[in-house]
Amino acid sequence: MDDFSSLEPLYRRWQRRVALSAEDKRAIADMAWSRRVFARDSYLVREGEPTSVCTYLIHGFAFRQKLVSDGARQIISIHIPGEFLDLQNSLLDVADHNVQCLTRCEVGVIHKSALLELLASRPNVRRAMWLDSLIDSSIFREWVVNVGRRDARQRISHLLCELASRLKSAGLEDGPIYDFPLTQEQIADCTGLTAVHTNRTLQSLRRDGLISLSASKLSILDWDGLSELGDFNERYLHHSA
Amino acid sequence: MDSPAENPLELLVRRLETHQGLTPEDRKAVLNLPYKLRRLEAQGYTLREGDRPDRCAVLLSGYAFRHKLTGEGARQILAIHIPGEALDFQNMFLEESDHNVQMLTRGLVAEIPRPPLEELVLAYPNVGRAVLIFTLVEASIFREWTLNIGRRDSRSRIAHLLCEFAHRLTAHGITPDGLYELPMTQEQLADATGLTSVHVNRVLQGLQREGLIERERRKIRFVSWERMRDVGDFNPRYLHASEFNGRTAIT
Repeated sequence: MDDFSSLEPLYRRWQRRVALSAEDKRAIADMAWSRRVFARDSYLVREGEPTSVCTYLIHGFAFRQKLVSDGARQIISIHIPGEFLDLQNSLLDVADHNVQCLTRCEVGVIHKSALLELLASRPNVRRAMWLDSLIDSSIFREWVVNVGRRDARQRISHLLCELASRLKSAGLEDGPIYDFPLTQEQIADCTGLTAVHTNRTLQSLRRDGLISLSASKLSILDWDGLSELGDFNERYLHHSA
Repeated sequence: MDSPAENPLELLVRRLETHQGLTPEDRKAVLNLPYKLRRLEAQGYTLREGDRPDRCAVLLSGYAFRHKLTGEGARQILAIHIPGEALDFQNMFLEESDHNVQMLTRGLVAEIPRPPLEELVLAYPNVGRAVLIFTLVEASIFREWTLNIGRRDSRSRIAHLLCEFAHRLTAHGITPDGLYELPMTQEQLADATGLTSVHVNRVLQGLQREGLIERERRKIRFVSWERMRDVGDFNPRYLHASEFNGRTAIT
């Protein structure tokens, strides 16, 4: 059993959305889980494998990805501390995508049965977790729009705005400088572009004075300009839900 | 009150039971939900982005789709829905809809007010689990669509979409294997795959020329499932259809 402080971000988010009682809090704190550390690029979930655990991100960044049969990779979503990486694994029996660490990650591993027991016994927690999974879904939908109907500059601006907006809303960062874990190749895989196209596009965003980007830091120099260019409307993140 | 045999929510019960076994009490609770029937023409909206989703539509007949518009007005279709599916489980517990739901064809929906539905899914564990699994499978389909548009060429994208639609229609007993009515225009196919309608037209003609599909008005027949599956890089794992067979009800 581990201390509650690692689950604090999760608890705070749920508490914001659903009024959790003292018993709910105790049930969350009493849930069995174990802390594990993974190196950058490690796989946490592999497509096709049976699911037995759910993973909660304590520190670091992770991403979900799928491969087409000729090996091309599409990143499906990015995850920040305080989020579940695979909530669907609690109820779906086979993983339909991969989950990988973007940076060194510290995670809480929770056995499916422990999570299902918490859900079964605490209706408020059930509602909060349900919201988490529906908001994940909404983000997946927005990514379909992003790769399907926006041009390269819009796609990348949208991705940067989303990440910044989520970090801010989770209370992890204040901006305008953010931890930025993605390589150019990974940005390309998030946006359905080639690495060359991504490089060119990032240069143009820099030239226009919208961002500056170094090894692991993103500075958003002109939020209004970037969010307008990226057609970014944070409704789909349901921050106030 | 309708007799059980005539209750249109039977269709929803059957669909939920493909994900999770239900007890007679569970079934009764779903069938007792209040609902209002609504007939919709093609293009009719059941929900608009920004609206408060205060009811959940269950599609009884016809086809529907989800979509979003970009700031410039370009449309991206996010999912296609077939009879028996709930259109608004995705909006449960949320205050504001982040996308539109519209009919592809004319059809009939049963609209369930949200408060009794939310109470039901929280109070009946089997029903709650079935509904949650339904939304999780939908989320898996969204992920696959990001991959489809982001990393497959136009021919594979269209073939993948056709395979998914055929697979779901067959799995839910709506159409026999291989021949089905495609309720989408070329423009809608384009909006579902991030292509232009000119491009879609060329791809469909190509698939036909290669002898992979036959088209007759709005009907489509796969000449060879295997070849279509190869072209579309289609692996039905993401539909999670076979995982739940025999998952029994918790009593």
